[in-house]
Amino acid sequence: MSEINAPIKQPPATAKDGRSAASGMEPKRPMKISSGEYHQRWRLIKDALARYGVVAGGLGVIVAILLIFFYLLYVVYPLFISASAEPISEYPVPEQALGSTVLLAIEEQNEVAARFTDSGQVVFFEAASGKTILTQALAIPDDAHITSFAQGRPIKEGSVIYGLSDGRAIIVKQQYKVTYPDNVRLITPSLKYPLGKQPLVLDESGAALEEIAVKVGNNSTTIVAKTVDKIRLINFKKEQSLFADEASLTRTDSILDLPAAGIADILIDKEESNLYLISNDGRLGFFDISDKSSPDLKQQLNVVDAGQKITSIAFLNGDLSLMIGDSSGLVSQWSMVRDQLNRPAMQKIRAFKVSDKAVIAINSEQRRKGFMTIDADGIVGIYHSTAEREMIKERVSDALPSVVILSPRANALLLQSAAGNMHFWHVDNEHPEVSIKSLWQKVWYESYPKPAYIWQSSSANNDFEPKYSLTPLVFGTLKAAFYAMLVAIPLALMGAIYTAYFMAPRMRVYVKPLIEIMGALPTVILGFLAGLWLAPFMEEHLTGIFAMLMIIPIGVMLFAFAWQFLPKAIAENIPEGWDAALLIPVILLSGWLAFQLSVPLEAYLFHGTLQDWLQAEMGIGYDQRNSLVVGIAMGFAVIPTIFSIAEDAIFSVPKHLTVGSLALGATPWQTMIRVVLLTASPGIFSAVMIGFGRAVGETMIVLMATGNTPVMDFSVFQGMRTLAANIAVEMPESEVDSTHYRILFLAALVLFMFTFVFNTLAEVIRQRLREKYSSL
Amino acid sequence: MTAQHVRTHTIDVSSMLRDQKKTAEPNQICIKVENLNLFYAEKQALHGVSMEMAKKKVTAYIGPSGCGKSTLLRCINRMNDLVDKVTIEGKILLDDENIYDKSVNVAALRRRVGMVFQKPNPFPKSIFENVTYGLRIQGINDKRILEETVENALRGAALWDEVKDRLNDNALGLSGGQQQRLVIARAIAIEPEVLLLDEPASALDPISTLKIEELINELKEKYTIVIVTHNMQQAARVSDYTAFMYMGELIEMGTTSELFTNPQKKQTEDYITGRYG
Repeated sequence: MSEINAPIKQPPATAKDGRSAASGMEPKRPMKISSGEYHQRWRLIKDALARYGVVAGGLGVIVAILLIFFYLLYVVYPLFISASAEPISEYPVPEQALGSTVLLAIEEQNEVAARFTDSGQVVFFEAASGKTILTQALAIPDDAHITSFAQGRPIKEGSVIYGLSDGRAIIVKQQYKVTYPDNVRLITPSLKYPLGKQPLVLDESGAALEEIAVKVGNNSTTIVAKTVDKIRLINFKKEQSLFADEASLTRTDSILDLPAAGIADILIDKEESNLYLISNDGRLGFFDISDKSSPDLKQQLNVVDAGQKITSIAFLNGDLSLMIGDSSGLVSQWSMVRDQLNRPAMQKIRAFKVSDKAVIAINSEQRRKGFMTIDADGIVGIYHSTAEREMIKERVSDALPSVVILSPRANALLLQSAAGNMHFWHVDNEHPEVSIKSLWQKVWYESYPKPAYIWQSSSANNDFEPKYSLTPLVFGTLKAAFYAMLVAIPLALMGAIYTAYFMAPRMRVYVKPLIEIMGALPTVILGFLAGLWLAPFMEEHLTGIFAMLMIIPIGVMLFAFAWQFLPKAIAENIPEGWDAALLIPVILLSGWLAFQLSVPLEAYLFHGTLQDWLQAEMGIGYDQRNSLVVGIAMGFAVIPTIFSIAEDAIFSVPKHLTVGSLALGATPWQTMIRVVLLTASPGIFSAVMIGFGRAVGETMIVLMATGNTPVMDFSVFQGMRTLAANIAVEMPESEVDSTHYRILFLAALVLFMFTFVFNTLAEVIRQRLREKYSSL
Repeated sequence: MTAQHVRTHTIDVSSMLRDQKKTAEPNQICIKVENLNLFYAEKQALHGVSMEMAKKKVTAYIGPSGCGKSTLLRCINRMNDLVDKVTIEGKILLDDENIYDKSVNVAALRRRVGMVFQKPNPFPKSIFENVTYGLRIQGINDKRILEETVENALRGAALWDEVKDRLNDNALGLSGGQQQRLVIARAIAIEPEVLLLDEPASALDPISTLKIEELINELKEKYTIVIVTHNMQQAARVSDYTAFMYMGELIEMGTTSELFTNPQKKQTEDYITGRYG
């Protein structure tokens, strides 16, 4: 703006050169006042309009970028806010006369809750008000009483088993039927007996069942029960007849090879293949019960520190990890990990210091890897195992809690206090899976032998532990950009130097636009060429590719050497600056030669294919879609950008500098190295930076040519997954507003910040270079 | 261009030189131009120019814009080679050697014939690096030699006192006049035989111009100088010989005093009296 005004404002005396001095004279010339004034005013209006137009445009760009930034931030923000819980209602325990509660249950919609009592009664009531809906009594024989009780796996099946004093047991299952009479949701609870209403005889001798566990399935039900001296494993297998409708039940009995004394808890996983027996003194016995007739004791180990006791235990959702709470307030996560010999062994993955008091109950979420704890002080805590995050820590009732349940969607909790009151709370805990650690650091996932960086956002299985590490994606992004730049920088810069500085101007007229047209090629075309043609081609001709890297430079050197011996008559006929054209057949010929030589070369050097040799000798695996393919394809996409900007920078080095250098007796090469590149360095630098920025943000090529495997491996023969490709792949599949969705936005934000910080840094460096080396 | 314009003017410098009274010893010929024709593509820019230039003297080319004086100057160190589609016929002898011979190494020639341009063109490097540039490209990196050369060259270009404390500053921070003297220092640092000055003061203020002119007077002790100038007073002040060119032809050449006081050709007289230009 000030530049526009300068000639008007400045008096002619300060103008340095003759031209502005002359323009300074103009106002003195006599002219018609009216038209002059009109003209003057119109000029000022145009000037002001242009000024505001430019300012508005500039601000518009900044506002647009800020809006994108803030929108990303807005979507990402909920990931990092902590959870909250608030009371909804409090009421006396319904039907208190029917016995004390051993288990609370709540259905999916948080409308109906159930109370299982120690006298074999089940009370269904409204979760919010405590109004009784239905009361049912189990068919417990008169001469027996309940000695043990357990919730069946998996919890969402809603089954419960009662062990009786006469060696028998009853399995019941809660059912909630949803109907919509008059368009209003009505949930009707009922009880079902999957293995018959009459108690099952588990111990023929009639010994009381002191501890019991069950997994109820459609076709198979496994019960483990402990009497005073034995631990029995009983499996019922339902076999559907092929032709008839009827099904027959096959029973398998076996006795576990472990003393029954001291066993305090029994856990069967949902696959009915692992059985865990926990004893009072902190010992864990782990059986493989895949074969129900011969349970196999795999491991026995101590899971708490000396002097501590196991005070609570629960499966984490998916039944792959045990959460073990001890008397010191520590909850440790144990998972079955396979060692190098593929032997399963329990391994402590992580621990949470929940409280200073004993952890009296652990209750796992049914959809996620979260869990709730209650300590001996009555403090309720909600945690997430993978993210190692404490979401909520709160006292729900003044009296000590006796039983507590987290709702299936983990958005409500129901707690019965020792004082006989029910507390119904709402829990707001949307995104517990995300923490700085789970995004950026190594995380020890369930069943993994060691902590690792893994991106695996979804699976076919609902119990799956999502692995949201952004590190492999950032790594993949940088790796793809690195290999692309490795290909692009030398080719583009050398091409730019030659074209701008050595090439005949008439040849440059054709070459420059041609390379710039390369940049207009849709990247999706480059992507599928890379994925569908280059990758298989390279797999077949890997030796040829590497031979080419050596033979082409040798060919060019040989040609340059031979050039001196060319007869003068021919050499002088080729105009200066056109000699590059002669290299085209040389390069084509060397390339062809490389591929011809590759077969015998491969047979001679590697005794087979290069890939096999790499695998056998170096232990380097070969992926068809690898970094080399991406490097070449994306390098191809980036070359025009770098070339064009760098060429402009080199070409616009003022002629008087090159001429000045040549006049001092410098050769063209010396002039180029010492003056031209130096002066053009800010432009060359920004060319490389813009190329890098493009490589980082490039999506289609990496999407189609990398294999999208989020591995962290520097090997040039391995693929990768980049942030941009990851967003493109997963965004259409992710549920709106889910954690996964927001993490994809976070990936976008990271990409955005990355390019923003990088470009800013590059611009600062470029400005400094320009200050130092610009000659204008 | 019609044929009648293509004329040759051979001026017998040696006879003039003999007549000269100021010089005690006879002048040696340093550069001899023989029947030089130069074409930019189809357009002829120099028409059969022949002349001789004396050693350790200042020769000035004057003439109106576009008359070919800068073109002729640039022929002496073959800077015209850099122009696309240029063809040159004829000879230029530097110490009896034809510089347009195929065997001549152009880079080596330019080390012997330094050049200073109209616009100061220091490299975007420090003052020190600018002056030592010519040495460094010859592979001389001995710090002692470089320092010595820098001091000598800057003293030679009358710039030493102004910049001796900031040799490592960027040369672009100097004023226009200082930059031009730096460029002269850079040229004399490699001790050429001939110094070509292409309107060296035209972009400078009067005081800087005066300094450059004083410098030229000192430099002719050591170098043969050829200067192109628009400014006839400048030519009169600094040169020993003056050549007047017009439309690509050498019209007249003689000692400066004679050419300005007693021009032989009418065109010359018209030009120096300001009738056209």
